[in-house]
Amino acid sequence: MPHLAVSDVRAKYGSLEVLKGISFSIEKGEIVALVGPSGSGKSTVLRALMGLTPITGGDVDLAGERLNYSSSREVRAARDRMAIVFQQYNLFQNMTVMQNLTLAPLKIKRWDRAEVEAEARRLLGLVGLSDKIDAYSDQLSGGQQQRVALARALALKPQILLLDEVTSALDPELVGEVLDAIRKLAAEGMTMVIVSHEMGFVREVADKVVFMDAGQIIEAGTPAELFDTPKTDRAQNFFSNILRH
Amino acid sequence: MNYRFQFGVVWENFPQLLEGAWLTFQLGVFAFAGGAIVGLLGAAIKTYGPWPLRLLVDTYVVFITNTPALIQIYFLYFGLPEVGLRWSNEACLLIGLTLNAGAYLTLILRAGFISVRVTEIEAGQTLGMSLIQQIRYIVMPHIAKSIYPALANFFIVVLVMGTSVGALIGVDELTGQAINLSSVNYRWLEYFTVVAGMYVVLTFIASIGLALLGRWVFRVKARIF
Repeated sequence: MPHLAVSDVRAKYGSLEVLKGISFSIEKGEIVALVGPSGSGKSTVLRALMGLTPITGGDVDLAGERLNYSSSREVRAARDRMAIVFQQYNLFQNMTVMQNLTLAPLKIKRWDRAEVEAEARRLLGLVGLSDKIDAYSDQLSGGQQQRVALARALALKPQILLLDEVTSALDPELVGEVLDAIRKLAAEGMTMVIVSHEMGFVREVADKVVFMDAGQIIEAGTPAELFDTPKTDRAQNFFSNILRH
Repeated sequence: MNYRFQFGVVWENFPQLLEGAWLTFQLGVFAFAGGAIVGLLGAAIKTYGPWPLRLLVDTYVVFITNTPALIQIYFLYFGLPEVGLRWSNEACLLIGLTLNAGAYLTLILRAGFISVRVTEIEAGQTLGMSLIQQIRYIVMPHIAKSIYPALANFFIVVLVMGTSVGALIGVDELTGQAINLSSVNYRWLEYFTVVAGMYVVLTFIASIGLALLGRWVFRVKARIF
């Protein structure tokens, strides 16, 4: 049984159907990358999983349990088990790095303070920011903020981590440090769904690549299959265009 | 100009002026604090509430912000006894000022509510926060920081302009005390010169207090002038 199974998920913005029946699955510890042109619905898949964009059809199963997005209580239950990191880091501006990490575990989960803080320190060590524990987000570079956002997402011990173009807003020289942090998570066995334009990185870390266009999955397979021998015309066009530079 | 200033009588009665200043300060703080609670509720309703409640808040804000504070306080002072409520002058003034400040603060705080970055709210949602928790941990700190200068300015408005209306319904705050005392000795100019100076000192103290509070609590680099 897959860790996360998404079957025939649909979503609309107003009357525009942005997800037209998306199905894929991930085993525990796997990394799936969603790739495709802008507007293809990759980010919407992640937003739908988090309950930020309402799902209008289809099913999501996580660790054998059906996730139900029909009430705000159910949505919160789903968010309890997954975490997302956004393109724009979205740290809380008025809090230190440590407070950003510990707010939700302490105030929302009401976990034990000593354990939460120990875990926060461990995570900051993992992303290489132990020295920034008392800094505010406006004192950090984009890459550092994004690594804090990663650690903050992990502080809630999610069963799956969703990464939505986490390097797209960064200066090129800062991309590497964030990708390194993600590699470490992969080595720890974190199950992840990644939306990314960093094709080299996707090829390196992903177990499975899903190519999307216009709200549909066009083709899915291993990185080698999609990058080297895409079967569909659209995938061929897309990969030949972006791999050219 | 042949007027000879004679401040002696003012200094003799200075303790009474100080009492008035203390009352002014208390009225200002309580009216602002009460107004902030009303304003926070109003702004939250305007942002998240259903339309009947929004309409109610809008009506309240339009009526209060488009009529003079003096008239609102007269309504309470002369109107409440007619419906059987006999409240003291101070209570009428305080309630009037609170309702008045609440309307303006609804508008000021509303600006804070709508200027929160949607992405920060989404970050809070995905961390599992309820609406109340989002307001408590994201919106409120954001408001405190982003519109702190506007809030501090409005506190001064309430403290100086708002409370002095009390003189007209017999509340012995600073202006009221000055009117009482000067109508005994007819040293109007002396009393009001000193009282004007006292208002300046009062707002100066309040400004420093607010700036320090902003720095320590909300990390706002607030300036005193």
